[in-house]
Amino acid sequence: MTSPAAELTGITKRFGAVVACDNVDLELRRGEIHGILGENGAGKSTLMKVLIGLVLPDAGVIRIDGEPRRISDPAEAAELGIGMVHQHFSLVEPLTVWENVILGERVRLDATAAKRRVGEISERYGLAIDPDERVSDLSAGLRQRLEIIKCLRRDPAIVILDEPTSVLTPGESEQLFEVLRRVVERENKAVALVSHKLDEVLAATDRITIMRAGAVVDRRGTGDADAPGLARAMVGRPVSLRSEGAALGHIETFEDDPAVTEPAVEAAVEATEPQPVLSIRGAVARGRDGRTLLDGLSLEVRPGEIVGVAGVEGNGQAALSDLLSSLLRLESGTVRVRDTEPPPGRPGAMAAAGVAVVPADRHESGCVLDMTVEENLTLVSPPRARTGRALLDRAARALLDRAGRQAHAERLIEQFGIQTPAADAPMWSLSGGNQQRVVLARELSGDPVVLVAAQPTRGLDVGAIEYVSERLREAAASGVGVLLISTELEEVLDLADRIVVIFRGRIIGEMDRVNLDVERLGLLMSGAQEEAS
Amino acid sequence: MTATGAAASAGSVRYDRARESATVLGIYLASIAVALMVAALVLFATGGSWTSVLSALLDGSVRGPGRWGTTIGVGIPLLLVALGTIINSRAGLVNLGQEGQLFVGAALGTYVATHIGVGGPGVLFLIMLAGVAGGAIWAGIAAVLRYQRRMPEVLTTLLLVFVAAQAVGYGLKNKNLLLDPTPDQANRNLISERLRPDTRIPRLDWFGNDFPMTAFIALLLAILVTLVLRWTIVGFRLQMLGRGPRTAHRAGVSEARYGGLALVISGAFCGLAGAFMLTGGDFGNYRLTPNYPVNIGWEGLLVALVGRNHPLVVIPVAFVFAALRTGSGFLAATGVDRDITKVVQALLVLALLVPPAILFVRDRRRALAAAAERV
Repeated sequence: MTSPAAELTGITKRFGAVVACDNVDLELRRGEIHGILGENGAGKSTLMKVLIGLVLPDAGVIRIDGEPRRISDPAEAAELGIGMVHQHFSLVEPLTVWENVILGERVRLDATAAKRRVGEISERYGLAIDPDERVSDLSAGLRQRLEIIKCLRRDPAIVILDEPTSVLTPGESEQLFEVLRRVVERENKAVALVSHKLDEVLAATDRITIMRAGAVVDRRGTGDADAPGLARAMVGRPVSLRSEGAALGHIETFEDDPAVTEPAVEAAVEATEPQPVLSIRGAVARGRDGRTLLDGLSLEVRPGEIVGVAGVEGNGQAALSDLLSSLLRLESGTVRVRDTEPPPGRPGAMAAAGVAVVPADRHESGCVLDMTVEENLTLVSPPRARTGRALLDRAARALLDRAGRQAHAERLIEQFGIQTPAADAPMWSLSGGNQQRVVLARELSGDPVVLVAAQPTRGLDVGAIEYVSERLREAAASGVGVLLISTELEEVLDLADRIVVIFRGRIIGEMDRVNLDVERLGLLMSGAQEEAS
Repeated sequence: MTATGAAASAGSVRYDRARESATVLGIYLASIAVALMVAALVLFATGGSWTSVLSALLDGSVRGPGRWGTTIGVGIPLLLVALGTIINSRAGLVNLGQEGQLFVGAALGTYVATHIGVGGPGVLFLIMLAGVAGGAIWAGIAAVLRYQRRMPEVLTTLLLVFVAAQAVGYGLKNKNLLLDPTPDQANRNLISERLRPDTRIPRLDWFGNDFPMTAFIALLLAILVTLVLRWTIVGFRLQMLGRGPRTAHRAGVSEARYGGLALVISGAFCGLAGAFMLTGGDFGNYRLTPNYPVNIGWEGLLVALVGRNHPLVVIPVAFVFAALRTGSGFLAATGVDRDITKVVQALLVLALLVPPAILFVRDRRRALAAAAERV
């Protein structure tokens, strides 16, 4: 038998005190799709970055076709026939498809040849795309298709895909796996599929390597694997909680277990009676470039319910979150929060009306990295000084109560289990999960009427995901209306009492937990209109 | 829950404040030392002796009889301009128009002083108020353009400097405005009437050094700015705006209101600096002249830069910059061009801009070297 396409032995990589990869062995064979499974932060991406030359390992050997190699940058990796499709797109939006494909090549620009090449690749692998289309007009699914074409145009022997389905609808994911199968069978390439979703690894791969906390914990042929066993290996203990199962991309967990689902169903039924705490009607908004961001979006959230906004990324989720963060003005439409109508776009209006937000990009509008943890915990309503005398109090209100702020911050740090060296440590010194806790703590401590959580678990490890999910449930249980905006369908399915689907800036469908139909949901997410019934 | 705790602590970055600040301070000191060495080399190249130059600078700024009083007099407007600059910088805005705001403040002060016709503390106070108003209005124009028309304040404040020079120049040609109307001074073109003695700032005399009382007002203002930034809601919100504008917007900080406020206050400080210069006696002998600000606005901006936008740190920095200015007058005797002090100033500014770059390169190099060794 010939040597494997790539063989990594004893790969170790530390970042400070954190061991990202600990003596990891991995073998990628030709004609196989190899699933690399693990939670967020298990070291999968680091391992792949070692192979592609983005990260230099502290120790270990890489053999390509049996030859030991030193790969110190992606160009060297490309010469050795290794290509990678990254989790986040690296496309130039104003350029066309073929321009993006040849971008970075140091050859004479030949449009016809380049277009022909794009045509050849898309035909060979069944990746239909129009080479003259502008990237900004492409859906997320097509953008990823373009990324794959970019990777395949050099005809790599080894193809790495890092969490490729996070922006795809279920239908698009299936198409992707068909393409991968074709690549493997017809051209004998080796494919590495990095994922934290059990179901897709089970469905699409031939062999699975499971990583946990930087080390390989198990290797199996896909034929010998089942979902509960994989989940146990991944997390290191039996998985019982619904949110964990969902975080691992295993949708069936709650469908198998009616006992777990029932309370949520009851809650949904009960929640239909009271007046909505949040209602958006006919919201229309345009970006600076004139692009339509929201196109007549309407939705309602009642107290005590979790409404999940499902949809493929880029369909108005960011605008919806911005609207409720006072960061977006409307051309028409209204937002009502309980009995008030906060003017959209006016600084602080939504927060004052009781809308708490955990934004998708916490660094942009959730916290201030250059301020301290205690300052970040009191951004919206910093504690004001008081004297106890009515006359002086008017003046004292202009002053910060620094002692009060520190006490308040320390209480929240304790209550929300925020890991920080001190209350006055800078926000940037915290890990992502703890920054998210700071945002969550601040927003929940303000007694909100509505809580908007946009991608609240993105980039967090399983422990943190579980924590955030619990907090969202708790908030709903205490009567807060929760709006969960997420592109992770599993997360929405796991948490929401009612699911609405957002597509091109409007809500095009709705279903509650009782009448859940994942297939129809997938169709809605890809833009298929609801039938007349 | 144990898994949660372990994962969270593994991910958190170690943060050793004491050690890091010691390193940073060390790098800054080394950087300043290098700058001074380069300055010495420049002197050497021009044929001067650095010991005699240093000695002349010290004589001119502090050692000579009455010199430190003069240095304080020059330092007052530098400090005020720097304090104003700190406020707009902390709010994330760039004001490059200090020179113009100062000039308009001084001009408006002159107008009030020469048109009221009486004197006394009340009039002195009105002159200060006019200075504040002049600077605030001039910066306010930039604020309105920024928040009504989305014009970058970097450009508008800078360009308004030249508008200010032209506008005050026009005033200085017109007897109804600023030009000295006294008929027997026909050859004294483009100069204002001299301020009446009872509209001047009283000067103190300490150990043979005299300086205007406004020195204490300037120090009080530095303390006030420190307190406002640290202890008030407004100060907190201004800095939130500077460090995270979108987060601040969501938290209720109106960019137009707080950003505009920061620019106007910044201008007001510069205008006050102009009024202090006019009534203090260390500049222009109580008369407004063309080119009255003599670069105090620009240098005040550098003081804020060198003082890392800290309202207490800029006090000594303003004094050092003032000393370079007053000391340079004594350089003629050493045969070295007095502009050498500008080179020293520039080197000092560069010296304080270099350390952040060094720290960045250091962290990167370390990581790369460590990685390359192991593979």
